[in-house]
Formats: sequence, structure tokens, C-alpha cells
Amino acid sequence: MSERPARPAKVIKLNVINEPKDSYTGGPSSLCPGCGHDQISNVIIAAAWENGIEPHRIAKMSGIGCSSKTPAYYLGQSHGFNTVHGRMPSVTTGAYTVNKDLLYLGVSGDGDSASIGIGQLIHAIRRNVDMVYILENNGVYGLTKGQYSATADIGSKKKKGAVNETQPIDLCALAINLGCTFVARSFSGSKKQLKSLVKAAMSHKGFALIDVISPCVTFNNNDESLRSYGYVKDNNVTLHIADYIPNRAPMEEIEVPEGHYRDITLHDGSVIRLETISEDHDPTNAVAGLSALHAAEAEAKHVTGLLYYDGNKPSLIEDLGLVDSPLIDVADTDLRPSRETLDKLNAAFLS
Amino acid sequence: MPTIANDFTINIATANGTGSQSANLILLQSMFEMGIPVSGKNMFPSNISGLPTWYIVRLSDHGYQAPGDRTHIQVLVNPATWDEDLAALESGSVVIWNSDAKKEMNREDIISYPVPMSSLARKINPKIAKLVTNIVYVGILAEMLGIDQDALVSALSKQFKGKEKAIELNLTALGLGRDYFKDNLPKEDPYVVEPREQSTAKFFIDGNEATALGCHFGGVQMLAWYPITPSSGIAEAIIEYIPQIRTNDDGEATCAVIQAEDELAAAGMVIGAGWAGGRGMTATSGPGISLMQEFIGLAYFAEVPSVFWDVNRVGPSTGLPTRTQQSDISMLYEGSHGDTQHIVLIPGTVEECFEFGWRALDYSERFQTPVFGLSDLDLGMNRWDCEGFTYPDQDMDRGKVVRDREVFEAFEDFGRYLDVDGDGIPYRTLPGSGMDPILYRGTGHDTKGVYSEKPQDYVDLMARLKRKINNAREILPAPLLREEIECEVGVIYLGSMENTIQEIDDILEETGMKVSQCRVRALPMSSQVEDFIRRHETTIVLEINRDGQLWGILRKELPNDLVTKIHSVAYSDGQPPRARIYSDLIMAKLEEVKQ
Repeated sequence: MSERPARPAKVIKLNVINEPKDSYTGGPSSLCPGCGHDQISNVIIAAAWENGIEPHRIAKMSGIGCSSKTPAYYLGQSHGFNTVHGRMPSVTTGAYTVNKDLLYLGVSGDGDSASIGIGQLIHAIRRNVDMVYILENNGVYGLTKGQYSATADIGSKKKKGAVNETQPIDLCALAINLGCTFVARSFSGSKKQLKSLVKAAMSHKGFALIDVISPCVTFNNNDESLRSYGYVKDNNVTLHIADYIPNRAPMEEIEVPEGHYRDITLHDGSVIRLETISEDHDPTNAVAGLSALHAAEAEAKHVTGLLYYDGNKPSLIEDLGLVDSPLIDVADTDLRPSRETLDKLNAAFLS
Repeated sequence: MPTIANDFTINIATANGTGSQSANLILLQSMFEMGIPVSGKNMFPSNISGLPTWYIVRLSDHGYQAPGDRTHIQVLVNPATWDEDLAALESGSVVIWNSDAKKEMNREDIISYPVPMSSLARKINPKIAKLVTNIVYVGILAEMLGIDQDALVSALSKQFKGKEKAIELNLTALGLGRDYFKDNLPKEDPYVVEPREQSTAKFFIDGNEATALGCHFGGVQMLAWYPITPSSGIAEAIIEYIPQIRTNDDGEATCAVIQAEDELAAAGMVIGAGWAGGRGMTATSGPGISLMQEFIGLAYFAEVPSVFWDVNRVGPSTGLPTRTQQSDISMLYEGSHGDTQHIVLIPGTVEECFEFGWRALDYSERFQTPVFGLSDLDLGMNRWDCEGFTYPDQDMDRGKVVRDREVFEAFEDFGRYLDVDGDGIPYRTLPGSGMDPILYRGTGHDTKGVYSEKPQDYVDLMARLKRKINNAREILPAPLLREEIECEVGVIYLGSMENTIQEIDDILEETGMKVSQCRVRALPMSSQVEDFIRRHETTIVLEINRDGQLWGILRKELPNDLVTKIHSVAYSDGQPPRARIYSDLIMAKLEEVKQ
């Protein structure tokens, strides 16, 4: 009797530091099914794993909002801090100042970063805090059920209420003007592009902003009654129940070749036009980055890719004149000046 | 004429931005160097240049440091407040006035010393005549009161450390003042200074600098701050001392400083540093604490060490930004929304500013909670005598941090918020350590730090937090008691009132009553405060505010039978406490209680 060939053992892929991908995953997501934010979480997991970063050397930072809840859903072996609304940059700055050796991975939303937190975002960029700042941008306040945020496009119409007539804030343009050392825009459905940007940002020394368009599946910032007439017609019973959250499949992966654009149909049937910046774009040229943003805006497109990059600017820690080792590793006896030092001070005061 | 030695008050009225502060400090320091018990108060405006400023120098062999009840010697330089200052003087007071100021001297019942201060100053250097005017009146006072030239020269060189030109110019101006008095003004007043032997060597320092040094001896690793009067002096002194006492041989520092974009960011940075395992602090005043409220709640609920120094100024709102008050007590004790309770350390002397500077950092890590230092403008920005700072009597207390994997493995069950030994303080691990990572959060959580809205999880967490802070009562600095055996009237007070309390006590005891003192030095309060109230027939809670905030806290925490034994005397006009005002209020309150 011939032996049946042994079933091949299940192969667990390891990264360069011999960690399986499971070491980088987190708890189950409690976001709406199909949310673009979950796709970003998966990209973060993949990027950290592929970059071979020790999970415990990452610090997950966030503010308040749907996006800021996501650190619970990735990197379960990393410490994290879900802080207060829009003020994650300052908490990160403080942590980074005393422990420069961690990879600070901030996740924020447009409600968090473009309104209450815009000052802290600006000042973290200005100081060039060494961190990755992923902005999960959907133009809407999800947790409070669908109010416009400061990045909502003019002409957007939410389920209930008026058309947004207020000029949106383009955080990438703002960041380039502030001299941010790494500015990119991407789309939650463009896994390949997003992952390469996140991996690059993780390796960057300085402040890296990635503004990720991540459409809200529940409170889309688009006019359902006009743009997804058919959907509403077919589902009119359930869609008018305010607390019903539709169960949707995640966006299919979309990769737009460099220099091209493509129209993407969102869950509600609305369309956004994504353009990938051409390979001729010089990311070290801030004016070129701004031009690309303005040209895209004029044509109602969202331009994605690495818009601006400056690898030479010193990061905050280099400006602080500190000892080589992270401050938290300095021994207590080296932190507290000696008894002789105090004796000398007292004597000098008395003289 | 009998002389009056070392027992009078000088009031110097100038405009700010004219350099008068340096001249006034030289005057103060010179008398201090003669061994005379002297104190100085700077009453300055929230302004850069041109508004009225008064400097009050009190000499008192009793050691009284409050501004006196009246002015004995008035120096009039500022025309803007001339009439008001003059009108306020009691008959027989001395007025040294700038006769170049084009103002009238319309009082006949005072001792008048006209001095052409501006012309004298112009003789030296017309370009900086305003600046020199100030030193001219110091020269006049020196001659009139008999201040030693050696003491003046020493004070001058301390003020202008090594700047020979400035020292020379000021010496000339001093001489001009002295000569003018000698040659033109026969002494008609009784006031003189007499040197005293100091039993112990002392120096002058302000509370903010003392606090800053204390923080350095507490090994502070990160200061994040936003400029605000009257607290900026703490941050500036911390920065100033880093090169001297916080750098290695290569000039690399062990303390980082970030000037934040606002107080909210400063608070966030402090909490970030604490979360990462470092010692972070900020220094601010009431308006800054108002802005930090949200973060304070986060630090309390997520249990993150963080130190906040509040140098109290007059509120509410922008209030009187350059005046003193004790009005942030409730805000600090119960800061942020929801049920909270915080540790507050309240120094009353510059020595305590230093001590509580390092202790705050220890307590914050030990109890894993925000700790506040509550100073005030009077203590923080005025100079007080100091016998020297005492080196910390214990190693830095880093609290319950699990740093070794072996220790971590020994835990049967590890939870970031699990109280394993009953003191309400759980163990924590640090980011980067690889041990038991959690996502810190301001949302409800269970003992593992996992999000929870379960009723019992919330109740248990809130009860533990209460127990944790309550357990600090007997560990924090105990109240300072000075008791009479009769236990008649007790006075509970706090902070910079320390510098006025003895004078108040003496005034009250002149009426025959026996007065005991209890200075609260920390919140939550020790049971010794309750015992003090129980022992005394009547207790007054004395505060520099309107509403009796400490009294309110006591009423909430004391057993019912003691609540009626405490009575509030609270008053604030922005000025450092003058003894007579408060002793009168205490007597009126005692009278009211008797009825």
C-alpha cells in the first residue's frame, strides 16, 4: 500500500525580523461594515509587517472620532494612546521628546485635524515632530451622525440638510506651505499606492502627512437623492430609518496608473475622480506640489501620490540639544543634580 | 526727636518700563545686607511701559513681611498717580518728590523733601535720564535713612553682575542723590535703619526661581509651557539653569523644553511625556488651567503622571493679570468634567517652593495622576528671604512601573488598571518595553484597559480612583501647626498668607484672645486638619479670595458635627494680604459667631 503523501505543513510567512503578520493585527473593528478606515488599518498592518518593525517599538496615537478608534484594530502588541479631540499631536510631541526611539504612528480624521486640532497639526509640522500622521478624510463627522467637516467639498449634500457652500480646507496644500517634510494624498481603496506611501512614511525622519480619502459608507458627503437615485428607489424602506447602518462590502481595490485619472463610483453611486500624480512630478519642488493640488481642484479631481518631500530638515529632537539616549533611559541619579551642586548653588546665593 | 528704626513702610510710585524695578531691588537688597528684616512687593500693571507701578518696602524687626497698614515714606516720581498717592497719606508722613515733575505739593501736614530728580539724572546722562532718576531716589533714601555705602555697593554689583559700566553709572547717580540730600535737605523725619546681626545666613529669592530649582532637583525631563504672567518666571528659570545643572560634559541636556503653541498643547505634551515614562511638567496661571481642563480629566481617568504648576493671579477671566489671589483652589482640586479629585501641593515659603517642586514629580509618578503646585503671584514673583534649599531626603520615587520581564512574568494576572495590593494604585508598563501593551484611553475601561460601558466596571473604577487619591492624605505634606494650649480660636490658612499670618495673630492676641495656626499644605487634606478643628472652640478659614474655596472643601469633607465649627473669612482686593484688613474681618466674624 503506497503511503499517501504528507499534507504540506501550513506555511507561515515571516518578515525580516521573523514575525508573522499576526503579530501586527489588532482587535475586531467596530466601524460600519465596509468602512474605508478598515482598509487603511489593513494597510498599516501590512506596511509595519513588511517594513519589519518590532511591534512593541511602535506607538499608536490618535484623537477622537471614527478614525481615532482604529488603533484598537491594528498593532495589538503596540502601546497606544487614544487622547482627546484633535490634540493627539501634542501628546505625541511630549512622548517623542522623552522617548525618541519609538515609531510614532498617528491616525486622525478630518473632524479631528481640520477643525479643533488644526492648530496642533500645524505646530507639529512646524516643529517637524518625527511621526507618521495618517489622516482618514471623509468630509463628515461619523460618530455624531453625519455633520459636514471642514474638508467637505463645496456642493456636497448630506442625507439631511443643506448643500455645503463653505470652502474646504486642503490639508495637503496647508502642509506643503508649512514646509512639512513628507506630504502625500491617497485613497483608502488604493491599497498598493497607500501601502507604499505608508511604508515610505514609516522610514521617513520627520513629519509625514498622508491624507487618505476614505469615504464614509453611512453618512456619505454626497447627495444620495440625486446621485444614487436607483439605490434609494430600491431600498427606500430601510434607508429612511436613521439608525440603520447598511452592511456594505469594502471598496474594490483601485490603482490608477501614474499620470492618469479614473472615476471611482462610491457605495451610494456617487463618483469621485482620482488622479495619480505623474512620474515627472518632482516631489522636492513645493511649488510643483501646490500646482498639482490646485490644478486637480480646478478640474474637480483629487490628485494622489507623494506630493512633496524634504529629507534634509532636522527633526524636533535634533533641535532640543539632548543627550544621545532617549531621556527615559537616563538613570535617576543622572537626572537629579548632585548634593554638591545644590551646596554650590546655596553658597553662590549667599555670597 | 526720637528715632524710629526698622519699623516703617516705604512706597515708591513710578511708571513701569522706566527701570525702577532694578533700583527698587537694589534698595531692598542693600537693607537686607545690613541684616534688617525687610520685604518688598512689586505692584505692577499688565503693561510694558508707562502705567503706574508701586514698590512697597516694609522694614520690621518683628519680621512682618506683609505690606504695612500705612505708608510712612512716599516717593513720588509718577505724575499720573501723584494726587491719589498724596491724598492717601496720613498726617506726618514723609514725601520725597520729584520737583521737576510739574506737579503741586499741596500738603502742609507732611514732611516734604523736594528733589529735582530729573535734572540731577540729566547731569549724568540726558539720554537715559529716566532710568537714572530711579537710582537718584535710592541715593536720597540711602542718605536720609543711613543705609551703609558698602551694602549699597554690594547690592549694586549683585544686580548688575559684572557689568562694570552699569555699576559705575549707578554709583555716580547714587552719590548725586546722597549729596543732594546732605547739602540741601535737613533731616526732619524720625526714620532710620539700624544694622542687625542675622542669626543665620540668608539670601533673597523669588518663589518662581525656587520652584524651578526644585523641579530640576526632581529630575524633570520635559517642560512644555506657554508664557503667562505670573508663572513665566518658573519656565524661564528652568531654562536658565539647564546649562549649569542639567547637562553632561558634552553640553547635552537631560531636560527638554518646548514652548507650546498654547496651554492646551502644553498640557498634552506633559501628558505625552508622562505616558511614555518621563517626568513632564508645565507652569501656568489660572487662565491656562482653565484651558487645560479637558486634558486634566484625561490624565486623571487614564492615570498618567503629569505636573502642573499654577501661579495664581486674580480671576475670573483675564481678571487682574498682575495681582495676587488664592482663587484657583476649587478648580485645581476638582478640575475637569465628571467626578474628579486631584492632589494639590500648596507652598507658603520659598523653601517649600523648592521642596514641593521635586515632591510634585514624585507624587505624580507614585499616584499615577496629575499633581498641581499652587503658588501665587505674591509668593512667585516677589523676593523672600531663604536660609538655603535642602537636598531631597529620598531617592526619586518612580512609582509602580514594571520594567523587567521577570517581574512582569511573576504577575498572576496583569491588568493596567488592576489594583493588586489594595492601595488603589495599579502597575503600569511603558511604551517600547514590549510588556503588556494597552491602548490608553479617556473612555470607560475595565481593569485590563479595554473599552467598557459595563455599570460595575465603571463603579469599580471610580471607587478605586477615589480610594487612590484619599490614600494620599497622610502621605502628602502635613499641615503646619502652631498651637496655643488654650485652643480658643484656630485659624486655618494656606499658601502665601504664611507671610502675613504672624502679624494677624499678634494683632488678634493684643485683644486677649489665644490664636492657633494651621497652614494647609496639600489637598486632599490630612486628618490633622479635622483634629485641629475638633480641638478648637472656633475655627476661622482664612483665604485670599471671595468665596472661601478652602472652607467649601472642608464643609464638604468634614463630619456634620464639625461643619458648624468652621467660619469663612475670605477677602481679596488683588493686593498681597495686609494684616489689619484680615484681623478686622476675623474679629467681625468672631463677633458675628458669638451672637
